[in-house]
Amino acid sequence: MSTEATDPVAAAADAMRRGDELRQAGRIDQALGQYLAAAAAHEVPPAALCLKIARCHEKLANFAEAGRWALAAIDAGDDFSTWQAAAPLVQKHAFAERAPLRSIRLAVLGSYTTTQLVSALRTALARVGVAAEIYEGNYGQYRQDILDGGSAMYGFGPDFVVLAVHQGDLALPQISSDPAKDVAAELDRWTSLWQALGSRSKARLVQHNFALPAENAMGHLASRLPGSRPFMAAQLNLEMGRAAGNTVSIVDCERLSAMLGKQRWFDARYWHISKQAVSLAAVPLLARHTAAVIAADLGLSRKCLVLDLDNTLWGGIIGEDGLAGIKLGNGPDGEAYIAFQEHILRLAQKGVILAVCSKNNDADAREVFEKHPEMRIKLDDIACFVANWQPKPENLRNIARQLNIGLDSLVFVDDNPVERAAVRQMTPEVDVIVLPRDPAQYVAALAGYLMFETSAYTAEDAARAEQYRARAQIAQLQATSASIEDFYRSLQMKAVVAPFNDVDLPRIAQLVGKTNQFNLTTRRHTLEQLRQFAADPACVHLTMRLSDRFADHGLISVAIAFVREDVLDIDTWLMSCRVIGRTVEAEMLKHLCMWAAERGCRVLRGTYIPTAKNGMVAEVYGKYGFTQVAHSAGTTIWEYDLGAKGPINNTFIQNGVAGGFTHERA
Amino acid sequence: MSVLERLEQVFHNVFGNDQIRLTDQTTAADIPGWDSVAHINLMFGIEQEFGVQFGSSEFAEMANVGQLVRWLEARR
Repeated sequence: MSTEATDPVAAAADAMRRGDELRQAGRIDQALGQYLAAAAAHEVPPAALCLKIARCHEKLANFAEAGRWALAAIDAGDDFSTWQAAAPLVQKHAFAERAPLRSIRLAVLGSYTTTQLVSALRTALARVGVAAEIYEGNYGQYRQDILDGGSAMYGFGPDFVVLAVHQGDLALPQISSDPAKDVAAELDRWTSLWQALGSRSKARLVQHNFALPAENAMGHLASRLPGSRPFMAAQLNLEMGRAAGNTVSIVDCERLSAMLGKQRWFDARYWHISKQAVSLAAVPLLARHTAAVIAADLGLSRKCLVLDLDNTLWGGIIGEDGLAGIKLGNGPDGEAYIAFQEHILRLAQKGVILAVCSKNNDADAREVFEKHPEMRIKLDDIACFVANWQPKPENLRNIARQLNIGLDSLVFVDDNPVERAAVRQMTPEVDVIVLPRDPAQYVAALAGYLMFETSAYTAEDAARAEQYRARAQIAQLQATSASIEDFYRSLQMKAVVAPFNDVDLPRIAQLVGKTNQFNLTTRRHTLEQLRQFAADPACVHLTMRLSDRFADHGLISVAIAFVREDVLDIDTWLMSCRVIGRTVEAEMLKHLCMWAAERGCRVLRGTYIPTAKNGMVAEVYGKYGFTQVAHSAGTTIWEYDLGAKGPINNTFIQNGVAGGFTHERA
Repeated sequence: MSVLERLEQVFHNVFGNDQIRLTDQTTAADIPGWDSVAHINLMFGIEQEFGVQFGSSEFAEMANVGQLVRWLEARR
């Protein structure tokens, strides 16, 4: 019955129909072949097709593929029914053959029916590599769960608690004669819950803030009437954000509801039938964003945006159209490319590293940055600039190597579907953003990518581009130095080593959460745990800031050690990959030796726990004179006898005035 | 695709089971796992698939699949 189809879309539809017939006839493997042929015609295959493929794979016991295609189904969009169908496949098979990046225990406590949200949240977390064991609180029992220290929620032992609440739960009157007092009282009701949870659990709290309803009896007057409920609810969202600081994460439901449309966010019928305060149409979006916030708290955000140039940052092809011929700044397309560049710069300002990967002559590509008056992004904003004729997957590997970050930290944006396909196939670790045809839609496409979500904003984030550029300059200096010692000295490094303090805790938590390579034990302590270490008299906790003649690298190393009788036992020692290979590790060991002596310890003990990424530090203790005293299953324990060997020293780094051993402990 | 076939696809997605076959006589009692949550998910799935909106109590009051099909056909 099939006709010879020449149009690939029609051919795909034919293949899908044949697949359906074969599946109904029970010929699953042949059906799968047809479905896969149909999927090959699409860059992002439609959700229904992905689900059919996933189910065929499941029937054929290809469980890893079943999980992969179920996740592909949700990549096609935020359609609730698709998510509902994908959920059981994802739950059973997403981590059938690949290990999750992280495993967490998650409690979802709600003021409305959260069954659907829980299911979607598990799927959204799996999509970003997080396996979640989930406890769902009873309907509306979130206060009891938190305030009763013996509740089943505490028994479950969550790492994260999501407070999925809605504006109907706000105890704010329609009209208040003392709005400041009413808002303060309501804020206190929520922050007391946060404190109660914090005093009984180390879990990170993720609070949904309050989506204001579309309907507003006060009308526009509410916008200038501080005593009206809408005004107070908006005020409460702001105050809640201020109170949250770095201790509580917030999912901005008010923004999400506005983005989706408030009339879609809340559907009165579903509220009346089954107490859905977030309509099912909005649940996938809410789940995706909640998962992104949790992933950011886990340190899983991506670090670097790699940009194509022609038809991505400007319209046209510089090598053919020339500087005067490309579209940038004039006319609607030119304006759209400028808007895209400005959005990219805003990402850079919050700490995303920018790189360029373009098929061009290097000089042609650079000329646009140097000479085009409308260019918003400058060469100084780019940490790594690669314009050549090599395959892009190869160049992406080079960019990752030069910046000393993993391929799984890269996000690639390119208008060309062929390049995107090559990158997906050859370097699957890289996330690929699909740009639509119209440059006016580029900003929305990039903004819809959620793994640049970050859980704190630190001084280091603001200075990141400069630091990564400095790294490239240092690579050049190294090449021209006579000896490695000359090179170290020529860097004119200065370190400030100091105990933890409140200001640094978010940055410390960020490093603990995401450092993979120079990380001896990869223990992912939460911000709360770090705060407790800082208060523990048996704990030696150190941060190091480093600067050199090129840049201030900010806070780049963390060590946590515990005094156990006459041993100082290093629980955690990590260093940002930006400063590897310049004796910074010796500097930290020097300070640990000083602290050991100060605390009356005879021995410094270190542990190395191997992971897929920290092979580079397997021998670091041995290199500095530690002796291996025990090993099991790849983990090695090392000891350094301070009495016999004397303290470890490093002469290449000067100690800054404010830091070092003399600094008072916080 | 007929209304009944499209409905079957919605049921497959909601119940995660592509073996489900519907007839005019099918009721909630015939489908394992048809609880209050599945009921809501089904209502939403049907609304999306057919671009319709049920009144708050309309869907719950349908006696069987046949009545649902006739309701949907009247709105094509």
